[in-house]
Amino acid sequence: MKIAISSDGEELDSRVSRKLGTSRYLIILDLESGDFEVVSNPGASGQQGAGIQVVMLAVSRGVSTIVTGYCSPAIKERLMSNGIEVLSGVESTVRGVLEKYRRGELKFGIHEEGVAGVKKIKIDRSTFARSIRGAVRQFVSLLPMMVGVILLTGLFNAFIPKGWLTAIFSGNPLLDTLYGACFGSIIAGNPINSYVLGGELLQNGVSLFAVTAFILTWVTVGMVQLPAEIAALGRKFALLRNGLSFLLSVPVAVVTVLITNLIVG
Amino acid sequence: MNLLVEKSKQKEGKSGSQKRRLLFPAAVAAVYVVLYIAMPDKTILALRSSCSIVSNIVLPLILVFVVMILMNLFLNPAQTARLIGKKSGIRGKLLPAVAGVISAGPIYAWYPLLRDIKSKGSGNSPLAIFLYNRSIKPYLLPAMVGYFGMVYVIILTVCMLLGSFVVGYAIDYLTDDG
Repeated sequence: MKIAISSDGEELDSRVSRKLGTSRYLIILDLESGDFEVVSNPGASGQQGAGIQVVMLAVSRGVSTIVTGYCSPAIKERLMSNGIEVLSGVESTVRGVLEKYRRGELKFGIHEEGVAGVKKIKIDRSTFARSIRGAVRQFVSLLPMMVGVILLTGLFNAFIPKGWLTAIFSGNPLLDTLYGACFGSIIAGNPINSYVLGGELLQNGVSLFAVTAFILTWVTVGMVQLPAEIAALGRKFALLRNGLSFLLSVPVAVVTVLITNLIVG
Repeated sequence: MNLLVEKSKQKEGKSGSQKRRLLFPAAVAAVYVVLYIAMPDKTILALRSSCSIVSNIVLPLILVFVVMILMNLFLNPAQTARLIGKKSGIRGKLLPAVAGVISAGPIYAWYPLLRDIKSKGSGNSPLAIFLYNRSIKPYLLPAMVGYFGMVYVIILTVCMLLGSFVVGYAIDYLTDDG
């Protein structure tokens, strides 16, 4: 069983911190093996969401009990709902907590199953209302971006003539594959439209490499949806994911067409 | 006193981010206004196209909304972390791949759900794998076969599936989730 003690320092003789959310460290002890590790608390600076970061940290480390000076009711509820027991009101050193445990003055493990434990989920009216409120909040916060993306897609559909695409391709397979990937990234819509357009491009003599890259990036890369993806999942993630998907489209297109040619002949 | 200052700063931050959120749709709306002055017919066509998109995403949005409520009810961060968290192993890669393949509707309908999953402790890689695998649409495969042939479609589908894992692992590596 693992317990986490919020601590002011990295040593076992450090004081148990007064507040869980902003404690500088968590000392995580494995009571079976006796091993311990010191983890910096990502929320130590006290910014918004510090308490949630402690919850995430405890959950990811498989902690089943947290010992601290004070824990806010909201964070306590979060920890408890994850099967993590909270012992607050402790004024001692980390070593002192351990000695109390060894002497049997402290008992851990109210939730024996810990993080992996199976908890009975009680659904009452307030839990249900909270779940709906949470879902509505998430939706409302992304609604403006969604509206923007839909309006922009409408603009693309109306203002970019389909024949314009064929005229752009040069005849050079490598360059055309890049062009295909670029156009697929810019244009958005139902994937079936990419098959229709891809089919037309093929008939007009555009290489299958280019058409494959076009079909691939149509769904995997979204320049039109990028603002909405950034808002939902963060700038770094959205840019990296779209960039990687774009870069990968060229080798995937080449491999797909080469294998197809090998088999079909 | 300090608490009051902190709270007022938080409020300012919230209203700032709300303003930023409105910037993009406002900019697109402004483009519509300008285009309407120059090319009213085409702009109305664009608006109609947007309306038809809205009618197409109503059902997926309702589905996503219901899934979000169920997730809020039955899935806590610990379970999310175990299923698709940073240390969820191969299961954490396969599960989002299957979910991506069977998910329907435009991607922006799924963003609220993905954000919810992320806030519950999902790693970055499952989200990337989910998004990449949305390119595989089993119900559209017959149409694709009609255009490009069976062999091509099978090979492309396998390559896309493998590509999704490449993107997933690369995201893990580049965002220090690995």
